Amino acid sequence: MSKRILIIDDDEAVRRSFISALEDSKFQVDTAESGEEGLQMKKDAEYNLIFLDLKMPGMNGVETLREIRKTDKEVPVYIFTAFHKEFFDQLRIVEEQGLNFEVIKKPVGSDLIVTLTKLILGQHEETKEASHV
Amino acid sequence: MYEFRLYLYISGKTANSVAVACNLKLLLDKKLKNQYSLEVVNLLDNPQRAQEDNILATPTLVKASPPPKRKIIGDFSNEEKVLSGLGLTEEERTEK
Repeated sequence: MSKRILIIDDDEAVRRSFISALEDSKFQVDTAESGEEGLQMKKDAEYNLIFLDLKMPGMNGVETLREIRKTDKEVPVYIFTAFHKEFFDQLRIVEEQGLNFEVIKKPVGSDLIVTLTKLILGQHEETKEASHV
Repeated sequence: MYEFRLYLYISGKTANSVAVACNLKLLLDKKLKNQYSLEVVNLLDNPQRAQEDNILATPTLVKASPPPKRKIIGDFSNEEKVLSGLGLTEEERTEK
């Protein structure tokens, strides 16, 4: 079964850019246009990697991450954001709560999407293979 | 004076980030012994510095010196990939 990636962003252009960047990969890419929709999809399916926008109307990235971590402490979550203090101040709150996340700089280029995704999901595959030896 | 100057950019002092830093330090201690310095940089505290170093994602390891400057992104659990990415394999070090 192919590994699944969930993209949560209210901007359709960003969602399309991820789909386009990963269309030739072996991974299944699903998208959600809000934190609420993303959480529902996460309940309905198992994801191996989540890309999450920080600034969204309704439930923002921080609130969405907090909900994700209530049920899943392991799935890698990359939050995309501009690298500015005002945005990092929001992330500091979840850092203080001890919630794991990584960050990726906006705008995200297709090369970085592909590299990062293969690195994260590829490495997990290698780890599993190694554990069988 | 250390031969290799390295920076590790992390996103907050979370359990994952601490684990990444510890694993990396074990690898560097084994391979570079006392020839390196590793500075752990919390991206959330240093956005300007991350801009200057052109950091695109976390965690990122930067070899600041000796030149050429190199960067690798990942969890650094694969020893060979880390050393190769930094240009620090035995072969590359012997060539210099």
